[in-house]
Order: sequence, then structure tokens, then C-alpha cells
Amino acid sequence: MPFHSARANMAALLRSARLLRISPSGLRHITGTNRTGSTPCLFYSGTPSRTRNGVLSRFIGPALRNGPSSAVWTSPVGCGRSYAVAADEREDASSALLSQQFDLSLTRLDTSVRKTGRITKTLLLSIFHDICKTGYPSGNLALLLLRSCGSLLPEVPLDQRTALAHQVWEKLQGLGVKFDVSHYNALLKVYLQNEFQFSPSDFLDKMGEANVQPNRVTYQRLIAAYCQTGDMEGASTILGFMKTKDLPITEAVFNSLVTGHSRAGDIEGAKNILSVMRTAGLEPSPDTYVSLLSAYAEHGDLDSLKTTMAEAESADCEFTHRDMAQVIHSMVRAGHQQHVPHLVEHFKSSHGSLPDTMNLCLSLVTQGHHDTSFHILKTFCTQADDTLRRDSILLSSLFLKHCVNVDLPLTTIQGYCQELGDTGMHTSALTFALSCALEAKKTDVSMEMMKLMKEQDLPIRPHYFCPLLVQTLKDKNVAGMVEVLKKMQDLGLSPDADMLYTFILPLFPNRNAARKALMDTGVLGDCKAILAVDVPSMAMNNLAELYDLLSDPSSPPVNHNTFRAGLIQGFRGSDDVESMVKLTELIYRDDRFTRPNSDPAETTSYFLYNFFERMTEEEVHQNKDKLRKYLKMLRAQNINIPTNIYRGIKTLLEKYHVPELTKDVMALVDQQEAAAALTDPKVLEQKLVQLKAANKPFGRTLYRTIVVLCEEENLQQALQLKQQHEDQMTAEIYSVLIRACSRHDDHLEVALKLKKEIDQKDPSMVLEASAYLSLVRVLSKDGRVEGALDVLTEMKQKEVVLNKTHSSLFHTLNSLVTKGEAPVIQQLLDTIVTLGLAKPSSSLCAPLVTVYLNRKDLSGALDMAMQCQERYQVFPRVHDVLVGLIENGEKELLQKAIEFATERRGEMNALYDLLFAFLDAGQYKEARKIVETPGLRAKSSRLQWFAEKCIVNNKVEALEQMVDMTSKLFECDRDEMFSYLLRLYGKSNNWEKAEGVWLKMQEDTVIPRERTLRLLADILKANGQEVPFEVPETWYEERSTAEHLKAEPTRSSVEDEAQTKMKQEFSEDTAKFQAHLLSLCRKGKAKEAFEILKQRSGETLSSSCYDQLICGLLSKGKYEDAMEVKDIASSHIPDFSLTNVSNSLLIVTLSKKDLVEDALDLLRSMVQMDMEPSQLSISSLVQAQGRRGDLAAIQEVESLMGSSGINMTFVNNKAMAHTKNGDLDSAVDLLESVCTSPDSNPRLYTAFQRILDVGDDKALDKLSVLTERLANHFSCYRPITDLFVLLLDQGRVDEATFMLNRCPALAEQKDWMFSNITSKALNRGKPTTILHLLNLIPDFTDEEKEKLFTYLMKYHVLEKDLSSAKSVFEQMKAEKVTVNELTLKRLASLYTEAGETPPFTEPPMSYRFYADKLKDKSSSIVELTTEE
Amino acid sequence: MAASARKVTAMFVSKIPWTVSSKELREHFGKFGKVRMCRLPFDKETGFHKGFCWIQFNKEEELVKTLQEKHMLEGRKINVQRNIGNSFETEKGNYHD
Repeated sequence: MPFHSARANMAALLRSARLLRISPSGLRHITGTNRTGSTPCLFYSGTPSRTRNGVLSRFIGPALRNGPSSAVWTSPVGCGRSYAVAADEREDASSALLSQQFDLSLTRLDTSVRKTGRITKTLLLSIFHDICKTGYPSGNLALLLLRSCGSLLPEVPLDQRTALAHQVWEKLQGLGVKFDVSHYNALLKVYLQNEFQFSPSDFLDKMGEANVQPNRVTYQRLIAAYCQTGDMEGASTILGFMKTKDLPITEAVFNSLVTGHSRAGDIEGAKNILSVMRTAGLEPSPDTYVSLLSAYAEHGDLDSLKTTMAEAESADCEFTHRDMAQVIHSMVRAGHQQHVPHLVEHFKSSHGSLPDTMNLCLSLVTQGHHDTSFHILKTFCTQADDTLRRDSILLSSLFLKHCVNVDLPLTTIQGYCQELGDTGMHTSALTFALSCALEAKKTDVSMEMMKLMKEQDLPIRPHYFCPLLVQTLKDKNVAGMVEVLKKMQDLGLSPDADMLYTFILPLFPNRNAARKALMDTGVLGDCKAILAVDVPSMAMNNLAELYDLLSDPSSPPVNHNTFRAGLIQGFRGSDDVESMVKLTELIYRDDRFTRPNSDPAETTSYFLYNFFERMTEEEVHQNKDKLRKYLKMLRAQNINIPTNIYRGIKTLLEKYHVPELTKDVMALVDQQEAAAALTDPKVLEQKLVQLKAANKPFGRTLYRTIVVLCEEENLQQALQLKQQHEDQMTAEIYSVLIRACSRHDDHLEVALKLKKEIDQKDPSMVLEASAYLSLVRVLSKDGRVEGALDVLTEMKQKEVVLNKTHSSLFHTLNSLVTKGEAPVIQQLLDTIVTLGLAKPSSSLCAPLVTVYLNRKDLSGALDMAMQCQERYQVFPRVHDVLVGLIENGEKELLQKAIEFATERRGEMNALYDLLFAFLDAGQYKEARKIVETPGLRAKSSRLQWFAEKCIVNNKVEALEQMVDMTSKLFECDRDEMFSYLLRLYGKSNNWEKAEGVWLKMQEDTVIPRERTLRLLADILKANGQEVPFEVPETWYEERSTAEHLKAEPTRSSVEDEAQTKMKQEFSEDTAKFQAHLLSLCRKGKAKEAFEILKQRSGETLSSSCYDQLICGLLSKGKYEDAMEVKDIASSHIPDFSLTNVSNSLLIVTLSKKDLVEDALDLLRSMVQMDMEPSQLSISSLVQAQGRRGDLAAIQEVESLMGSSGINMTFVNNKAMAHTKNGDLDSAVDLLESVCTSPDSNPRLYTAFQRILDVGDDKALDKLSVLTERLANHFSCYRPITDLFVLLLDQGRVDEATFMLNRCPALAEQKDWMFSNITSKALNRGKPTTILHLLNLIPDFTDEEKEKLFTYLMKYHVLEKDLSSAKSVFEQMKAEKVTVNELTLKRLASLYTEAGETPPFTEPPMSYRFYADKLKDKSSSIVELTTEE
Repeated sequence: MAASARKVTAMFVSKIPWTVSSKELREHFGKFGKVRMCRLPFDKETGFHKGFCWIQFNKEEELVKTLQEKHMLEGRKINVQRNIGNSFETEKGNYHD
């Protein structure tokens, strides 16, 4: 078409444009150049104009409510612009769901564009498939997809983009999307961006066929399409058409014309368009200039380009990064890349310019201009400052990745990597390029890259090859996989475990097949791996075969962890117990199957635990016999497990309701404790000599010997040994010696000499921290503070590690307290803190305050403590200071202290401080007031602190008071509080009080934790008492039932179908309900739990929940309710059965209700089920039977329990039954047979008590005869002593006196008497017993008298009976019995409490001190140290 | 025991560079205590590991110590945090635990 005609046509058309200005179309035409003004927006609304935030968001708004980042869509090169158009033009009829989907998709695309200037094809396709899957893509989604098929895909070649657009188009059409004009326009835009050659008339025809009317935008784009190819004639035709339709000609049309003229070779014409525009009243926009600049760029006319740029800039036209990118793109596309550096100067690196730069770089690479792209990249990176460092790396990474993807030659890529690395733009470029190649599964390039990396000494790891195995795995292509493995082998690598398990093994139907296939190829190299591959499957299939394989000593070591899961699986499924045992023994004894440095026996024990853990309850029940056999055989093989593992397994078994297996597991516990360390220095020295003689290393023995010598304070010998073996001296030994020397102030010089010696010998030698600290201590004590500070500095320099609690530092500082030098301590502490050896803590600062406390300078102490708070934010010894203030009535100072504490530590803390101080000072009323402060809540850590303090210091009353007064405290853990009391009573073996706690807990309806029960049981056992409940054992630490429960339903076990099923059935709601029930049970509200359960009895709960509820109800004596729960449980769980604990409790309940037959039946069935009824249940039952005189029943129980040896429960109650039946002779015979059986020295006190309870005087006669006979004929004095004390206890002094007369030897049995007295420490009537004893037995030694009086006094003190205590004191003085200090101290406290002054000086030291003193004096007096 | 013990001895490690495998992780965290378990899941589609793993120590102290530190592997900072939830559990069933 002739050039001129086109031009003439153009002029005509442009006139019509001018007409537009006055046309009443409603579109106001603004001539101003202010492109950001609001009005042009309206005007340009239908054009692909420069979009600005305000504009775009307005139009995208309706479709994208609150779309967070729509603005970003403006950034990619000339594309995002039209989203606005589309949104404006199409009808918005999408439902909420669709708009949601749109939002989501847009966000995904948007994020990608914002970060990296592009969308990847993968992302687009993934969104496309997601949308298709829903079946009903909305119109706007379709639009979004189409729009994304253009320049937003810089990595995709142009033709592919168009193909993709067509694919999307057809697919969506197939899905029933109704395309409107916006979709056609969108497609046109994509065509333009992709430079797709098409026939505009065909396009219009198609629209016509689809009955879609083209609009102005359609025509504009068609013009642009003609212009793109330089077809001005075509453009004119469309323009003419637009004119006939009276469509406005907009700036975009002019811009296209600029391009059109240029492409048609008429650069002048292109330039001329600008003046035409001006004549038409339109000022050229930056877009117009960009079109013109691009025109010059395509012509390679750098000069004109620059001139035009300057011209535009002078016209206030600013070019964005994207504009420049477009110009450069055009330039390179036209083959003028040599000019690029001139333009790149105008690029300014900024975070905002990153997306455009990326898009440009990637486009250029796609189109084969990778070197130019790299140049642009480098320019961006070198310009970038530190804030853009990540952008630079991202840019380089994407560039490299794309280079790999477009299959650039490796040498090119390597060159880029090299340069990026050299210039520090990308630190691991080659490694990154490899990851790209791997990601793209480009095996050959990857291999080449790895070779290259190997040459460059970069690490190559087995798992790098995993991506290359993805496809072979999918295709089950063994040959391909072997091919990859061979390549690995070439690089000297063999597969690692991850690779094997994830990418190699699944290729094969089973491990054996894998083994065979891979063995042949020899690619696995490592035999260990092969075995690891093989073992699990073999374990699952054939244990015997596995044993054969593993037991072969030539088989390589393999960690059994790698096949443990398989082995467990195998064990679970196999009946081959023999092989199970053999295998267990093998891994138990052979360290080839354990990681180095770990103990096979221990890991095997864990294996056993895991074995039980993996089994389901049902499974364990089904395989009980097998497991029993297995465990028994393990025992026979002398396989031992540690106690903690035993406990763990036991807990599991109990959970599974198969406690009967426990016995077999217990048999495995190693009874032999590790041999005690050698402690005899003589033996050690001998060993030393032997070792030396044999020329063997003796370092450890030397060390051990010196340690023992130092422990024995035989310093001289130790030093002598050191001299003999100077060459063997280690830091360890020096540390021992220095510590030993520092223990004595007079050895300070020796210690310093040793230190000096080390410094000379090896200044770098680092001693143990304790050695340094002992030096610090002695130096400070000796007044050589400078020296001490030097040592501290040295510690810092040598980075001596102190223990976390810094207790050694504390002791060092505390040892200086006695010298009373606060400044020295302060100096040391400051140095310690400044050097950073320790962070200031209240214990570390405590010695500072202690100095003042010791001086009784309370004011000073308070000031110092406050200073510490200021300086170190700790408040040391606040408790002691407060106690002191309270005791001394220092009200003002107390006020000051509390105000300070409130301000600095908060009100809650201050209240607790005060509470404990009052408690400690014995001002319980005040303390109670504090506890009742509204809003105070239990802070368990604080309460624990005070409780522990009471326990350590034997502050019984303070603790009892605290436990009592906190009973209503909000959130107070009652069980915890009672357990503190138990611990304290346990310390003094005060079992009566302990038992009292148990009662109190029942009274307060507190359900004790297992730990609490254990505490109580231990106390009772230690005092020869029967434990009236089942003693639970737990694993490691407490796990509350709630946690347990929570863990249970979520516990997943892939292989365990049954459990998974249960899990599904176990709804969350039920779990919550159940947890609630359990928590009620724990709180002792079993009754409440029961009521709730009845309301929801239709739900199935876990059997353990029912069980616990039954347990709770029974312990409340709610027998009927418990049985109702049992019925509910049975209705849901057909084979529901109670646990050991509940059954035992049920027996107790039945026995108490005198339903003895039922109890016995239950016991029978328990025994049949191999359960172990608790001791309490047996004794309750037997007692009930005894009361009825049902001897046969007792005998049946005895035989059921199959107890070996003599069980006094049965003896006592049988004797009672006999007596009850009037058969005293049999009772006596029974007791006699017990007493005369070898090795027995039974305590018959209880038996006698029982008999006397139901019998008469005749009974006593018989017993007297019996005991006397035993004493006279068998020299068995214990029974007679028991009877004697019993009589005294019962106040039957006459009978006792007769007895004594008949059997004077009784008087010699003082040991038995004492044992009776002490074991009944607080029995009523006891003081009288003691008095009777003193009266009846004349020849107590002074020492014995002292003992008895001590008991007596203690009794009165505990009873707070001052007058009796006074008279005892008088009696003691009268009888010239030594009043020991402990007794004096006790008595003094009683006086003080009663507000009286003791008529003697109160012994100054603590109770513990005197108790220890007494203990030293007589080891038999241990029991005296109770209470304080 | 599994659940509670893992809760106190296990951690979740993320941002692991692709070049690092269980071996390196074990080596690195081995400095803080005995690594009882290291589970580094791989993506079967890509062949790369997923960039995160679970590490379990024997003792809680070891975990606490580890969590206090900053960790670098191959010059990259990696994230460590206490294992929350029971992802450990749900992804159980392969051979590394």
C-alpha cells in the first residue's frame, strides 16, 4: 500500500478525532498533560493506557473486593494494564464462591509478579487446572487466565504463550464459559504481546460468529496489530471503520500509529504523529514517547533516541523503569544490542525496579539474548546497595535457572556462575545452577555440573541424585535408576538411607527383589546399605532367616535402628518365639547392631519397650501366651533390662490391662547393681604398682588413687604420689590436689605452689572450675583479694565452664560470710558479673545479705537486699530478712521492705514473700490474713519453694499451717500440698501423721496422684505398716491422665488399623467429655462425674475412663454407683473388665460391707485372670473372714495367693478366726508353729491384739503360757515382749507385772521394747507405757533412761502439754538422767510457745545439729530425730 | 511415652538448604547432644527434601541448649523451634525414627 495514501487517510481520520472534542458523547475530552488527574482516568478508561494505582483499583475494585495488591499488576511490561479494562467491560455475575476463587487465584499470581516480575508456566497451569477442576470457571477467572498468557510469562517462548492462550481459551469454552468482548479483547492483547501473526478480519469474523460485538478497544487493538507488522493500510481501514461508527480516537491509537509508521520504515512519519496529536489537542504522553523511543531503538538510531529522551524529559515526561525496559527490549529484538549499555545507564536499581528487570532479563534469555541479559543483570547487581543484596541474588538465581531451563551450553552457564561468584553477586552460583538442572530433571547437565563442582572441591552428596530418580521411580524403570546410581558411583558416591527408602526401594515389590536387582548391578557399593535394605523385609517375613543372616559374624555391622520398625512388625506377626529370642539376644549382646558408643543392652531394652508400645491392647491380649513364652525365654538367656525400662513396660501393660505379664518383665530387671567403685587406697596403690610393673597405662588408677587419698585427707601421701609421677600429672589431678589443699587454710601455700607449678609447666592448662573456685575462696579468706580476682580473670580467659546454677560460685562467696566482709564479697561478685562468669542471681547475691543477717543487722541486710534489686534485679534472702523483721517487731522496716517489694516485684510476689515470712515466724494468724487477700491465687512455684524449705528444715508446724490455710486458695493443687506434708513426715518416719494425711485427703475428697500414694506407701512400709492400697508405679515422670487421654486418640500408627478405626470413632467431643470426667475423678468429684455420665451414658468412652470412674466411686464408698458405671461400660464394651486397682478396691468395699462371699468370688476371678490383688484387698478380705471366724475361707485366700513363707496377715487373722470360733488351742498352735519355724522372728503384737479383742481372760492365759514357753524353751523372746508391751499399752499393768515376775528375762528384752515403742510413735497411752516400763523395769541404764525420757518428752512436746513436760523434766533431773540438748531444745520451744521463759539456756544450734549429734552418739537412737 | 517425650526433646528445623542432608544435620546438631532421630522428609515429586526436618535429642537440656543458639548451615541461617503439634506422629511410619 502506498505510503502517502495511508498518510492522507490518517489525516482525515484525525480530524474526526478532533471532532470528538465537541461530540456530546458524554466523554469529556481533556487536553491537559496531567495524566494523573482524575478526569483523564475516565477518558482513558477504555484504553490500554498507562494505568496508575488509583485508576486500576477503581476498576478492578468490584471484582476484587479489598484485593490487597492489585496495584502490582501495573508493573510487568505493558501488560497488567488491561486487567482494568476487562474488569470494567465484563458483566460481573460471579457468585461469592467464584469471587473468592478469583481472589485466591489473583493473589497467587499477584504475589509471583510482585516478587519476580513474572508468572511461571507451572504456576499458571496449576491455577488453570485448579479452576477447571471446580467445573464452573467464572468469567473473570477466565479473563485472568487469558491475561496471564502474555508478557507475564517471559520464560516461555512467544509462540508457546499464544498456544497456551489458545489452550486456555478452548478448554474454558468447553467448560461452558461464555466469552464476551472482554475476553476477545484480552486475547487480542495477548496476541500483541506475543507478536502473534493473525488475520484481524478473521478475528472479527469469529467474534461475529459468536455473536459478540467488537467495541472500541477491539478496534484499537486491531489497529495496533496492523501497526505491529507495519501494515498501515490495514490500520487505516480499521480507523475508517471506527470513524463510521463514530468511535473516539484515543491516545492509544496514536501510540500504535507511531509504531506502525516506524515498522513501515517511516521513522519521520512516526515522529510526525506527535505533532499530529498536538494539533488534535492531545499532548504526547510518556507512552507516546516510549513508542517513539522504541522506534528509534529498532532502527538503531541511538542519537535520535537520546535527543528524544532529553526532549521528553524537558517536557516533564519521566520514564519509568518499565518504559526503559520496553525500549531496551525493542532494541535487542531488532538486533542492536551493542547500544544497550548506553541505555542501561538509565536503569536505576531499586527494589521497585526488580520485577521489571527480571521480566526483561528473562525475556531476553528466552529470545536468545542471554549475554545482553547478563549484562543488564550485572548492571543491576553492581548498582545495588546492601539493601538490594537479596534482590540481586534473587535476580541472579532466576537468571541462572532460566539459562539452565533453556538449555544454554554448560560452558556458558559455568562462565556466568564464575563471574557471579567472582564479583560476589551470588555465593553459590554453580550449586544453585545444579539445583535448577536437577529440578528440571536434566540428568546430563546435572552430571556435568556435578563433575565440575567436584573439580572445584564443592561438596557433592548422595541426595543430590534424588531428583534424577523421580521419573525412574514413577516409571518403575529399574534400568534407568541403575543408570543414575552408576553415575553416582562414577562420582564416588553411593546412595544414602533417605534415597534408598524414598526413591529406590519403592521401585520394587519387596526388599528382597530390590536386593537381588541391586546386588547384580553392584551400584550400591556399600554392603551395609544392602543389608539395611534387606533386613526390614526379612524381619517382617522370616525371622529365622534373618537370624541366620545377622548372626553370621562376617555380616557387616548395621544399626538395628534401621530395621527396628521391621523387626517389631516381624515380632508382632510371627509365632517363631525361638527366633525372636535369638534375635533379641543377638542385638542385646552384639554391638554390631548398635551405634558406636552406645550400649547394646540398653538399646535392646528400648527395643523391648517399643515392641510393647507398638502393639495394640487387643494384640497383646491375643498373644499373651506367646509374649509370656518370649519373656521367659529371655530371662533364661540372662537378658537384663534397666529398672526404668521395666517401669515403662509395666505402665504399658497396665494400660493394656494385662498386668499379668508384668511379672515376666520384672524378672528381666538386672538385680546386680554396678560394682561399687574402688575406694580402698591401699588396693588402688597396689594396682598402680602392678600396672606400672606390667608397663600398662595407669593414668586412671593414679587419678583414682589420688582422689581417694585426698578424700581421706591423706594429703601428704597424695602429694608424694604426685611427685613420683610428675609426668603423669593432668589438669584433672591438679584440680583434685588443689581442691584438697584449699580445704584447709593452712595448706593455702601448697595450693598456690601447685598453681604456680602449673603456670610454669603449661600455662594453657585448664583446671576444673571447682579447683579455681577453691583457690578464690582460700585467697579471699586469707585477705588476698587481688589474687582471688586474678584467678577469676584467668577463669574467664580460659573459658572455664561453670555449672548452670553457679552453686559453686555461691559456695565460694558464702564461705566468706563468716569473715563478715561484705566489701570483699561485693568485689568478687562484681568481678564475676562483669567478667560474665555468671549472671547475678538471688542465690549468688545472698552471701552479701547473709553477712548482715549474721550480724543481726536487719536494717543493713534490707538495704543490701534492696541494693541488689537495684543493681542486679534480684532480691536475695528476702525471706530471711522479712522473718527477721517480723520476729524483731521492726514494723517500719517491714513496711519499707514490703512497699519496695510490691513496687519492684509486683503485689502478688510481695504477698507471697510476706505470707512465708509470717509462716516461718510462726505468726499464723497474720499469715492466714494474707492468704485470704482477695484475688490471691495459688502460685505453685512459690508454694513449692516454701514447702521445700519446710521439708529441709523440718518445719512441721509451718508446713501444716500452710497446707491447712491454703485449702480454699484459688487454683491450689491440693494433692501437691499434701504430698509436701507426706514428704516431711516421711523424713521423720512419722507414719501416723502420714496416714492422717491420707485420711484428710479422703475427707477433703482429694484424689491422690500416684506419686503421692507411693510416698505414703513408702512411709508405711518403712515403718512396718501394712499399705492399705495398691502401690502404683509409673514411668519416669508423672503424666496426667488428661494428657494421656489427649495423646491416645491422636496417636497414629500406620500399621494399626484397629486403632485408626477407633480414632475415627472417637470424636473430639467425646474426648473432651471424657477428659472432663477424668478431671472430676481426679479432683475427687467422682459422684459429680457419675451424674454427668448418666446423662450421656449413650456415648462410648474408653475403658480406662470407666475404670477410673469406678475407682473414684469405690474410694468414696459409692458401691452401687460404681456398679452402675460398670453396667454402662459393659453395655458399650462387651468384654469390659476392671483393672487390677479397681478390682482390688471392689474387694475392699465388699469386705467392708461384709459381702465376704462376693469378695472372695471376685478374688477368685482376679486370680484366674492372672491379676494381682492389692495387699489391702487381701487383708481387708481376710480380716472380714477372721471376724466371722471363717477359717476355711482364709485358707482358701491364702492358697489362692500362693504366698510363700509366712504372711502375718493370714496368721493374725487365722488366729483371730480360731479365737472367734472358741478354738483357742488352734490359735495358739498356729502362733507357736509360726514362732518356731526356722528363720522367723515374727512380731505378734497385732495377732495378740486381735485375739485379745475377741477372746477373754482364758485367751490371755493361753497366750501367756505360749509366750512364756517360747521364751523359756526356745529362747524366743519377742512374742513375750510383744504381749508385755501390749498389756502395758492396754493399761493391764497387773497382768504385765505378773508376767515379768514369771519371766524375769523379759527385763532384758529392751531392744524389743524400744522397737515396739518407736514403731508406735504416737499411740495413745504410750506415755503411760513408758512410765510403766520405767517403773516395772528397775535396771535401765542411764542411756536407756535417756532414750525413754526423750520419747516421753517428745510426746508431750508434740501434744503441747507443757505441764506434763515440766514434770518429766523434773523427774529426769531427780533421776539424774542426762537431758540431752535435743530434749532441751524441744522443751525450750514448748516454753516459748506457751509464752514462758525456760528455766535453762536454750541450746543455740539447730534441731538438726543436735539430732545429728545424738545420732553419732548412738546409732540406735536414729528414731529420735523425728519432727524437727 | 512417645508423645510427651518427643514434645520435650524434639524440635522442628526449617529453612534447610537443599544441599544439606540428614547426615549434615546430624553432624551439626550432634554438637549439642546426641541426636536420637533426624527425619528429613523428601518430596517424591521433586526429589528434593522439603526444607524442614525434625530432630530429636535424648535429653531436654540438649534441646533447650540448641534452641538458644543461632544456627548456620552452608552459610545459611536455619530456623529451629520446639516441635509443636504432632506432625512427628502423623508422618511416622518410615524407617528413621
